[in-house]
Formats: sequence, structure tokens, C-alpha cells
Amino acid sequence: MPDHPNQAARDGAAPDEAAATPQDRDPIPGLAPPGPRVPPQRPAPDRTPEQAADRTPEPVPATASTPVPALAADGSTPRLWSLPALITLALTATALIVATAWHLGTVFLSIAPSNPASQRYQSAINSHVLPEFEQNWQLFAPNPLQNNIAVEARVQTLAPDGSRAESGWYDLTAQDISAVRGNPAPSHLNQNQLRRAWDYYTSWHNLPGETSLGTGGPLSKEYLKRIALQRIGSRDWQGNQIIQIEFRSATTPVTGPSWTAAAQKKQTSYVTLQWWAVSDDDYTGLGIHG
Amino acid sequence: MNASTGVLATVRSSSLTGWTAFTGRVLAPYQAAVVRIGFALCFGGFLLREWPHRRVLYGDRSAWSLDLARQMLAGNHAFTVLAWSGGRWWFETVYAAAIVVSLLLMLGWRTRAMSVLFLVCVLSIQNRSVLIGDGGDNVIHLMAIYLAFTRCGTVWSLDARRRRLHPDRVDRTGVALWSVLGLALLFTQLTDPGGMGTLSPGLYTWSTVLWAFWLLSGAWWLLDRRAPDGEPRAVLDAMATMLHNCAMLVVMVEVCFIYATAGWYKIQGSLWQGGTALYFPLHLDYFNPWPGLSQQLSAHPIPVFLISYGTVIVQVAFPFLVFNRRIKNVLLVLMMTEHAAIAVTLGLPFFSLAMISADAVFLPTWFLVRTGNRISRFATPLATLVKHAFTRGTERPHSAEGVTTV
Repeated sequence: MPDHPNQAARDGAAPDEAAATPQDRDPIPGLAPPGPRVPPQRPAPDRTPEQAADRTPEPVPATASTPVPALAADGSTPRLWSLPALITLALTATALIVATAWHLGTVFLSIAPSNPASQRYQSAINSHVLPEFEQNWQLFAPNPLQNNIAVEARVQTLAPDGSRAESGWYDLTAQDISAVRGNPAPSHLNQNQLRRAWDYYTSWHNLPGETSLGTGGPLSKEYLKRIALQRIGSRDWQGNQIIQIEFRSATTPVTGPSWTAAAQKKQTSYVTLQWWAVSDDDYTGLGIHG
Repeated sequence: MNASTGVLATVRSSSLTGWTAFTGRVLAPYQAAVVRIGFALCFGGFLLREWPHRRVLYGDRSAWSLDLARQMLAGNHAFTVLAWSGGRWWFETVYAAAIVVSLLLMLGWRTRAMSVLFLVCVLSIQNRSVLIGDGGDNVIHLMAIYLAFTRCGTVWSLDARRRRLHPDRVDRTGVALWSVLGLALLFTQLTDPGGMGTLSPGLYTWSTVLWAFWLLSGAWWLLDRRAPDGEPRAVLDAMATMLHNCAMLVVMVEVCFIYATAGWYKIQGSLWQGGTALYFPLHLDYFNPWPGLSQQLSAHPIPVFLISYGTVIVQVAFPFLVFNRRIKNVLLVLMMTEHAAIAVTLGLPFFSLAMISADAVFLPTWFLVRTGNRISRFATPLATLVKHAFTRGTERPHSAEGVTTV
């Protein structure tokens, strides 16, 4: 049963919904001329009139627009709801508007700078926004990052005769960079994994003392260690078992533009962490067999 | 006297119009559709791109082991079905399902169910390894949640096509899908796989949201079959419309939030004030796939100054100028262009696609409709050709084709 007088004709002419032009729109549902009892129109959701911040430049068909003032002026309702229906709708509308305002308000306060309102309602804000609506849009702000931070690792091995040996530094970041170079769609593996793991580690530790600042401390340490072990890719180095690993970061400031007074010489500074023990458990699930 | 009655009547008339629009009209259906298509394409494309790395990023080979993930999830209670089992088969199933769901959501096949499944897939994959994500993932995460509350399949979808071609056909596939999803939800709730309490009952939980979606769509279908002209069906329809309209408002405000915070925090930065800020991201190794291009872009002070200032001006102005139709469209062009440039220069194609999809919520309807017409004019003959080739190739009787489509 066509739910619009023109439907059959239109369907024959334009089998694709994308071909429907704005002029084809149904009259606005709910604004049907008032009658003794207007049955609720079956919606034709695929052809519901579009309406956004913009309207189409074409004039709305007169049939759709003219009843509006008439309806409102004579006090009749566009759709004659029964009282229970009206109450249900009013309650739903109220709940939705309150929920929308609450959501937008708490999200706004969670991303705004700390202020009296966000401090006072901190727990209420967090309980709604965290974890799924957490966001941070300080993209390259207030200032963009001005350092290239490379994470390097080296391992220590134990030979059967009890002697220890140390490898040279693996520049793990350099591996990422070479995978990013010339790649139109770099993988999160190269662009985010190590970079964010190092951020995570440093945000949960005081350096260089390596004191953990809370629950993220041990998690971030284990994560960083496992990333390096996975990338080194073997439980042995030069035939001997890896028993310890050590990290250092190499921070090189981006030399500022030549037309400013910024220093043009690159100076890399290092922060070296302590040796961390490596056990079999650290390799769990990494796909590296002994 | 007369003047005040006139004002009263105007107020009454406009509030009535507002109420009618809010309850009776699915506002911005084309914008909802384009956001749906954009984000489904973005996430589906991302999953395909990461296919070779999927196990290391989100699966059984991840350096962020399931044990570490569970410790974090126990603290923040984020939603992920990937914490239910550490088995490779479970991860592979969810990852493959996420690709299929993205594709089906993009096409608008059973959009109501797919948008909820898309939410489940996006949250599951991202929350499994939240430390692997960036700003693009964050936008997808938020929009996946908001999209589930919209009626984003009213246009440009297979659903719309089916409703138009077969308005009276019983949607057996939809009913089957609905039943399976209900059973799956019930099963996981009763067994609590992984012991994470992911779907434990409570007023303010995912369990409530998912059950509400399930019950309402079931009730809507039943009333649509039994009493399509009855008032209960109209009430449910109006409720879904109101929910859609609220969700679209949230999507729009969220985009404004993104630009407002990005812009307002930049104003405070000395490098943005000095007009050299653009230079620095172009020299970060992690975001420098084409060093020659970045060198060129940042070689001269005036272009760097103009783009740095232009970015701040557009981002700060957007939430206010969005109410001016013409200037808004100019800003949209500028922002989409800048994001397209970011995709190439900083090597962030999925972040850029996500932002462009979010921006698209503000595209004018006439533009979307016209673009849609152009695409269909171009695509329909192609589709017909493909269909004919297919039917000839498999030698299916022509009559069957004719019966089902007329």
C-alpha cells in the first residue's frame, strides 16, 4: 500500500532514493490539515523532509507551509494526541532535553580549563564523562610539541659461564620513523604504540628516580618493557639469554624556523633509566619462543 | 491589548511549530546519513588497513596484554567485549565482525541494529588497547555512541530502498536479527563471560541502553505490523524522532566543542601568537611521512604565519559562525581542506577522514541532495550493468528478477 499518493509514480520513475529531489518531499508529517480526528500518519522515513541548520533554497510546497499559521492561530494541534499519549510525549521530551543538557554540560566542563563549576561538581562530571566520553582536543595546543623524542633500549645477557654482556642501543623510534616515511597511511603500530607508551610511562613516573605515581605505574612499565622485547624479537642476544633491559630517551628539540631567533644547532639530551629484570612472564603472548 | 495578544499568538505558534518539528520530524536526515557513511567508512577502512597488525594492536599478540588491559578496565569500567576471552578465535571473530558491521552500516542494511553493533564494535576494539589510539579514534568513539541514538538510515540506505520497493513485505531478516541479538544479549548477561561484569544490570549501564534499544525496536516493529495507524505506534515513532533530534544536536555541539577547545587553547600558546606554530608539527618525525613536502610548506614565514593564524581564527570562530549559513559553508570548505591537507602532510588519513565526516553534519541539505543525485546518476547505469552481467553469468531466470523488483 503506497503511503503517499505520488509514491507509485515516483517509484516507477526514480528507483533510487538518492534520485528523489527536494521538491519531491512529502508534506511535513504532523502538519496535516486539522480534521475531526487525524490518524497519525504512517511515516515514510526514507522520504521524511530534510531539515537541518540549512533549508533547501527551493520554496517549500504551499500545501506544507500554509497550514502552519492557521493551525497555530486557531489553537488546534497539528496531531490530535490523546491525553495519555500527550503526557507520555511530554515526559519523554522533558527527560531527553534534561539528559541532553546534562550530557553537553558535563562534557563541556570536562574539556574546559579547571574552573569553580568543574571543581565543585568534579565527581558528578567524572561519573558521567568517564570512561566513554573522555576527550582531549588540545591538538597542538597551547603550543605544539617542539621535541623529537626517541626511545632506545639495550639488553643484557647471561652466558652459561656466568659472564654478562650488553648489547648496543636499539633505536626503537627510528624503526617507527622509517615505517612512517613515504607511507600515505602509517599504521597505529608505528605512529602511536611506542610514542604513547612512553608518554604513558613518563606521566606515571617521576624521572629519573622512576618512582611510580600510582596505579598506572606498574602497568606502564610492563607495557613499555613488552613493546621493546617484542620489537627486539628474540629471547637471546648473540646466543645468550636476555636477563635485563634498559631504556633511555633521546630528546632532540626541533630547531625553530630560520627567520626567528631560535637556535639552529640540534642538541640531543638523554635520560637513562635503570636496568629492569626480564622474565619469561614478560614474553607471554608476544609470539616469541625461546 | 491587541499587540500583546499578537505576541502571545506568535509565541504560541512558534512553540507549537517547534514542538511539532521536535516530535514529528526527523531533522537533518541527510546529514545523519552522511555522518553514518563517513564514520562507518573511516572505521572499516582503518580496520582493513590495520589487518596485518591487528593481533599486535588489539589481539592476542598485543604488548598491552589482556592481563594489563583487564587491570586498567577494572579501574575505569570501559566497555569491551574483547576482555571476555583471551582466545585468538574470539578476537578474530570480533575484528572480522567489526569490518562486516562497518560495511553494513555504511550501506544502511538494518541500520537500527547495525548502528548499535557498530557502537559495540568500536568501543570493544578501542577500549581493548586504549593506548594505541589518537584523536581520530577519539572522534570515532564519540560519534559511534551518538550515531546509535539517531535514525541515520532514513535516506541513502538499503533500508530506505527496501521500504520504498516493498513497503508491505514482512522483514523476516530483521526479525531474525533482532531475535538473535536479544538471545546473545541475554546469554552474555547471564553467563558474564570473563567475569568483568561488562553487562551487569543497573540503571546507568550499557546493559540498560542495549536492552532499551532492543525492546523499543521490537515494540515498534510489532505495532507497525499490528496497528500501523494506531496511536501507540505514533507515540513510539515520535519518541524515536525526539531521540534522533537530540542526538543530532549532540553531534553538532560536539563538533563545536572540538573546534572551540582546539582553538581557545591555541590562543594561549606563544607559538600560535607568534605565527610560527605550524612549523613545529611539520618537523616532528612521527608525523612527517614526506619530509620534502614539509620542508617546502614550512620554508617561508608568510605562509606559515597565514596558516597558523588562519587555523586559530577558523577554529575559534566556528561555534559562533555556524549560525550564519553562508559564512558557515565557507568555514566548512576551509576546515575540510585543512583536514585533507593534514591527512597527507602529517600522515593522519583516518584522523582527517573522521574530522571531515564530523564536519559533514553541517553541510547544507541542498548540497548533499545534489551530490547524492549526481552520484546516483553516475552509479545507477553502472549498477544496472553489473546486475545484468551477474544475472547473465549465473543464468538466473529473468522473470524472478522482474517479480521481486517491480
